[in-house]
Amino acid sequence: MDKSNNMGLAQAKARSTAKAATVFLLPALLLITIFIVYPVVDTFVISGYKWNGISADRIFVGLDNWKALLKDAMFWKSFKHNLIVMVFSILLQIPIGMLLATFLDAGGKKFNIFKIIWFLPYLMSSVAIAFLFIYALATNGGIISSLATIFNGKRTTIDLLGTAPNALYTVIGVMAWQFTPFYMVYFIAGYGNIDTTIYEAAVIDGATRGQYIRLIAIPLLGPIFKTACTMSLIGSLKYFDMIWNMTQGGPSGSTELMATYMYKLSFQQFNMGYGSCVAAGMFILITAIALLFNKVFKVKEDY
Amino acid sequence: MKGNHNINDSTMAVDINSLGKSNDADYRISKIKSRIAWTIAFIFAIIQLVLTLTPFFFMIMNSFRKQFDMLQQGVFHLPDPWYFNNYVEVVTHGFFGYFFRSVIVVAISLVLMLIISAFAAYPLARMSFKLNALIYAMIVAMMAVPMHVTLIPIFKLTTSIGFYDSLKALIGPYVAFALPMSVFILTAFMKTIPREIEESAEIDGCNRYQNFFKMILPLSKSGLSTLAIYNGVSMWNEFAFANTLIISPQNKTLPLALGQFKGEHSMDIPIILSVLTLSVLPMITLFIVFQDKLVKGMMAGAVKG
Amino acid sequence: MKKKVFATFLATALTVTSIVGCGGSTSTPAPAAGGDDTAKTEAADTTTETSTEATEEKADTAESTDSADATTDSATGKQTDGKNLPELTTEPLTITLWDIATEDPAKSNQEGAVQRFMADYPNITVNQVHQQNDNYKQQLVVAMSSGQAPNMYIHWGGGPMAEYYKSGFANDITDMYAKYDHPDFIDAAVAQSTYDGKMLAIPFGGLSGCDIFYNKTIFAEQGIEVPETIDDLEAACAKLKEAGYTPFALANASKWTGSMYYMYLVARHSGNDEFDAAYTQENGGSFTSPAFIYAAEKIQDWVKKGYFPDGVNSLTADDNQDRALLYDGSAAMMLHGSWQVAGIRSDNEEWYNENIGVFRFPEDSEAKAAGVPQNVEIGTAIGNGFSFNCFKEDGSVDQDMLDACYVLATQYFNDDTYNKMQMDSGNIPSIKGFDTQVDDPNNKVVVDVFFNASNVQLWYDQYLPASVTEVHKNCMTELFGLEKTPEEIGQEQDEAMQKAIAEQ
Repeated sequence: MDKSNNMGLAQAKARSTAKAATVFLLPALLLITIFIVYPVVDTFVISGYKWNGISADRIFVGLDNWKALLKDAMFWKSFKHNLIVMVFSILLQIPIGMLLATFLDAGGKKFNIFKIIWFLPYLMSSVAIAFLFIYALATNGGIISSLATIFNGKRTTIDLLGTAPNALYTVIGVMAWQFTPFYMVYFIAGYGNIDTTIYEAAVIDGATRGQYIRLIAIPLLGPIFKTACTMSLIGSLKYFDMIWNMTQGGPSGSTELMATYMYKLSFQQFNMGYGSCVAAGMFILITAIALLFNKVFKVKEDY
Repeated sequence: MKGNHNINDSTMAVDINSLGKSNDADYRISKIKSRIAWTIAFIFAIIQLVLTLTPFFFMIMNSFRKQFDMLQQGVFHLPDPWYFNNYVEVVTHGFFGYFFRSVIVVAISLVLMLIISAFAAYPLARMSFKLNALIYAMIVAMMAVPMHVTLIPIFKLTTSIGFYDSLKALIGPYVAFALPMSVFILTAFMKTIPREIEESAEIDGCNRYQNFFKMILPLSKSGLSTLAIYNGVSMWNEFAFANTLIISPQNKTLPLALGQFKGEHSMDIPIILSVLTLSVLPMITLFIVFQDKLVKGMMAGAVKG
Repeated sequence: MKKKVFATFLATALTVTSIVGCGGSTSTPAPAAGGDDTAKTEAADTTTETSTEATEEKADTAESTDSADATTDSATGKQTDGKNLPELTTEPLTITLWDIATEDPAKSNQEGAVQRFMADYPNITVNQVHQQNDNYKQQLVVAMSSGQAPNMYIHWGGGPMAEYYKSGFANDITDMYAKYDHPDFIDAAVAQSTYDGKMLAIPFGGLSGCDIFYNKTIFAEQGIEVPETIDDLEAACAKLKEAGYTPFALANASKWTGSMYYMYLVARHSGNDEFDAAYTQENGGSFTSPAFIYAAEKIQDWVKKGYFPDGVNSLTADDNQDRALLYDGSAAMMLHGSWQVAGIRSDNEEWYNENIGVFRFPEDSEAKAAGVPQNVEIGTAIGNGFSFNCFKEDGSVDQDMLDACYVLATQYFNDDTYNKMQMDSGNIPSIKGFDTQVDDPNNKVVVDVFFNASNVQLWYDQYLPASVTEVHKNCMTELFGLEKTPEEIGQEQDEAMQKAIAEQ
């Protein structure tokens, strides 16, 4: 009697939790389903067709597109580029963002001017960034080549955007320039979220501010750090904007990413069927990598 | 004196032996080390300052030139002569119309997005129910969707519900596309809020809804403001949806204003830069105001804690 | 509130610009002249024939003045009165039109044409949408795949036009074009509006040639004459290089810019024969045939000699980095589309007048001796064309709408007012007779080259199927970057071409 009553209570609690969760989640799930899930399903469906994207006739080809995708050197090349971008984005944007945030956190309010100026790049649109860097990196009169000429004492050209291996790393640098400020603000908020009693306790124990940051705050930022990495990871795997404005995937495909490749196929080459297959493949790869990353990270988080 | 003290306290990047053992000699060493550390930090800070400011500076400088002068003298030459007509041109081509429409769309989308994502993050972070992990995984997976695959389905949807070519059309996609990442971030933020806060509120007789509004939401302020910045900027600069879903000039938003100065073979770069300068200025202003709020929000949190 | 105020402001601004371009006609709805079809058809045929000759002879004004556009813009009638045109419906009708005229003067000119049409046919509403050029192809794909395709839309001919037609988004207007009045378009324009023997578009954007712009001051200073042959050109390059100039301003990150050199060298070495053969990949046709190898080797030789700017693959034409090299006096020549005349002139007219001259791509004397025609030119004769997408729900042709679109495209776009404004902004209509009306000496060269062409080859990157275009463009990067040999580039293009043919 007693026991069943308890069970009933637990059940009732679970039910009310489920109800509350539904209420809270409903608007988000609804919007996501309409605007994202449905298009994704559509993409998977189209990936089974040969279709130019406009014609009324689609030819069902089953898994032909997928088979082609597995053997598509260009796709795997762009995937490789995405991986390089991903690794360097995480290695550059997050540590630098973290350093800047730490600097600002240590300096307090009087460093606000740094914060504001450092944040500027994130406010600029990709169009402006692409234009400015195309000129800044130009072989003719650009900053880098001009500096090289001065240091070298004779006319020196450093071609950062026009040759295959350089271009990708240049673009990664520009991306870091654009996105690091966001991670900076993100980590500042993270610092702000740490319970101040912890800081007070540390100070009472005689810790300097530096020790507090290194030994207490950073470990506490673990989850925040992990989300930042995940964001950077996903963001760089589906990146499109600035690359499109800056190189359109060139020179000779050396900055081609999965997203630019997909865009060209779908909207410029009348190959929507295969373009959708690329998009679907991209979706699968990104999700898999993100899950894998989170799994690996989880183990470390548990200590 | 006070500033100096602060600097002493804040050793960065330099290894100090252990906590709590500070005698006089150690203190002096740490003071020197601290000085060095701060010098290095400041050098990097200044480098970063130059790196971020330079392109900005040139964007603004070149917006005060004629295209010919810019191309002839090079982009890194100061305006000679200064030419203000670009701004006149931009402003007389309906800039403020584009501007206000952008303000409206971004403001509405942002508010909706923040509310909805906070709603969604709350149960995911703080309730245990059966589908929690699954829903969370699904939402996170949706971050991986490249937006271009959604263009055609969203275009179809928009035309079929009669929202095509109106500002309304943009709000749905803007909110929806900001959601996965926002929920993802907020969930992480809400998880860092100590569970005791909620429990004590529950003892005081708050139900889950009151809990959310009275406790969780205020404590998530810094997370929310980060999201507002992140998504506000991307909505403000959003081009692809705006370009696809809106066709009449009287409904276009700011990122589409560039198109007026870009023809098939011609592009007046200085005019485009002046449009870009004008569109980034309000963002900067907002950030200056907002980041102050951000600090205040953190302070408020600190007092409570 | 404020939103409304600004919307009104904007709308007013638009109306004002449109009215400015408007002809004085009242809105009396009178039926358009139907007329005797058969007789007119014959007449039209003869006109075409005679003017074909006329072009070849490069005849004078009287012969080739455009008959269809000799408008009687009286205050009472329509500007189409008395012409052989389909009778337009008197029922209400709405046409959606997409163009890419986001910028003046094209914007006001094209809005003007639409306004004149709507004033003459008040029952017809034209919903004119200015799309942005950059994303235009994407916009069309999205709209077409969603059943919201515009009824009349701009394109650049070539592969995409064929694709739109095959997918059922372009009306075949061969019969209408034969039957009704239309501007007397030059043959190359008609050819580029045609696919598979069917007329699919009405040109309206004016022609664009491809010629070498050069700095007259530098040429004079170095004592260089305008080169007549490729050998002369190379001699000039050597001299310029010696004097410290970069011979060619080229921004090849855009790829289609480098393609211009490749296309022209191929055309000079083999006319159209080898490209046509490579296009079909039949009868031994290949992108590795002698002309393609010759062109690629020549380019790589020039690259090695430093005739192109350093980091040529990193400079973009969209950002005017090639023009910058001309302006700052570091480069002496630039092979580019003839729209550069208007572009440079609007940047700085004084500088333009003082410094800029144009010559046509020099001849290949060896090939000439072997009988290869030296007047196959590169460019576009239609510039932009309008295709019509007038179909009913059941897939049959919506003739009422098609008639209206036809009249709008042939009689209001391409009318005197329109063409005059085109000329004023440096665009030469691809209509016979306009070659004689050009004032600007450089444009004169451009037009003469064009009107003397035995054939105008459309840019490869518009002519080739879209998937091949992408490969071709990448090949241009590799060519100028010396990353691949001429043979490798040829093979890559062959592969892509064969794949595209197989998929047809």
